[in-house]
Amino acid sequence: MKAISFDNQSAQRVYNDYMQRCRRATSILSEKDREDVLLEINSHIYEFLTANNTKDQMETLLNVLDRLGAPEETLKDIVAAKKIGQATLTFNPKHLIQALVLNLTNGVIYFILFVLFLFEIAFPILIILKLIYPDHVGLFINSNGAFQYGYMSESGSGGISIGFHSHAKVTELLGSWFIPVSLLTAVLIYLGIIFLLKIVKKNKTK
Amino acid sequence: MFVFIILEKKKCYGYELIQDIKVEFDIDVGEGTLYPLLVRLAKEGLLSPQWEEQPSGIPRKYYSISSEGKSVLASMKTYAGSILKKINE
Repeated sequence: MKAISFDNQSAQRVYNDYMQRCRRATSILSEKDREDVLLEINSHIYEFLTANNTKDQMETLLNVLDRLGAPEETLKDIVAAKKIGQATLTFNPKHLIQALVLNLTNGVIYFILFVLFLFEIAFPILIILKLIYPDHVGLFINSNGAFQYGYMSESGSGGISIGFHSHAKVTELLGSWFIPVSLLTAVLIYLGIIFLLKIVKKNKTK
Repeated sequence: MFVFIILEKKKCYGYELIQDIKVEFDIDVGEGTLYPLLVRLAKEGLLSPQWEEQPSGIPRKYYSISSEGKSVLASMKTYAGSILKKINE
């Protein structure tokens, strides 16, 4: 990216500092998206300076930077929008969690998706627990027909349970199938989140 | 809608778009509002952005309305027309 040159040294320093802040504010994006954002900000500053060419470069520069606002605030929505695109395109969990966190304040649906993502994390944890405590993790059903999916110790339980009372007679149903079932559920929830994110993104625009 | 109306006539870069909206509709759109909107509209394929090199060495990103964007604008115009009709009744 070609930087803008100023005759006024102070203006040059202010410009350099602003672009550095923009670089930091977009560091979470892919290199391509980041370059795209920086080029556009740079282009906007240049076009403003050219259209409002005065003797006082510093004054004109401060005017455009004032209009643009603090990069950390101005670029927040752009970064959030671009991050969703990256998450739905790459299926990368790191980008997905970043996209959900960045968009948490953009609507209830993002909060729901974030909670769903936290729920999704529970399945790999249960798989590890199943390997360590095979008898305490599984799909349990008691004599009353209530069930629990997760971890159950001698004294209490942890996991998804519906009407479960630990004092009733308990049977584990899945056995060694618990791991593949949990893996499959985790994958399905993950794909569901990505799918919902794509729908939300499309509807938001319309 | 203002963005679509301007871009229906000609392709524009960000700064130019802000100026045109100000002249046409007497609305001062902030950069912090316009650029995230342009990013979202482009992501959805309603706008087609394209970088164009300039003699200055600092390229401009031109936005033009896509065919999908044109059909969205047509629906917006119909909707706005029906609202105005109801107000006038």
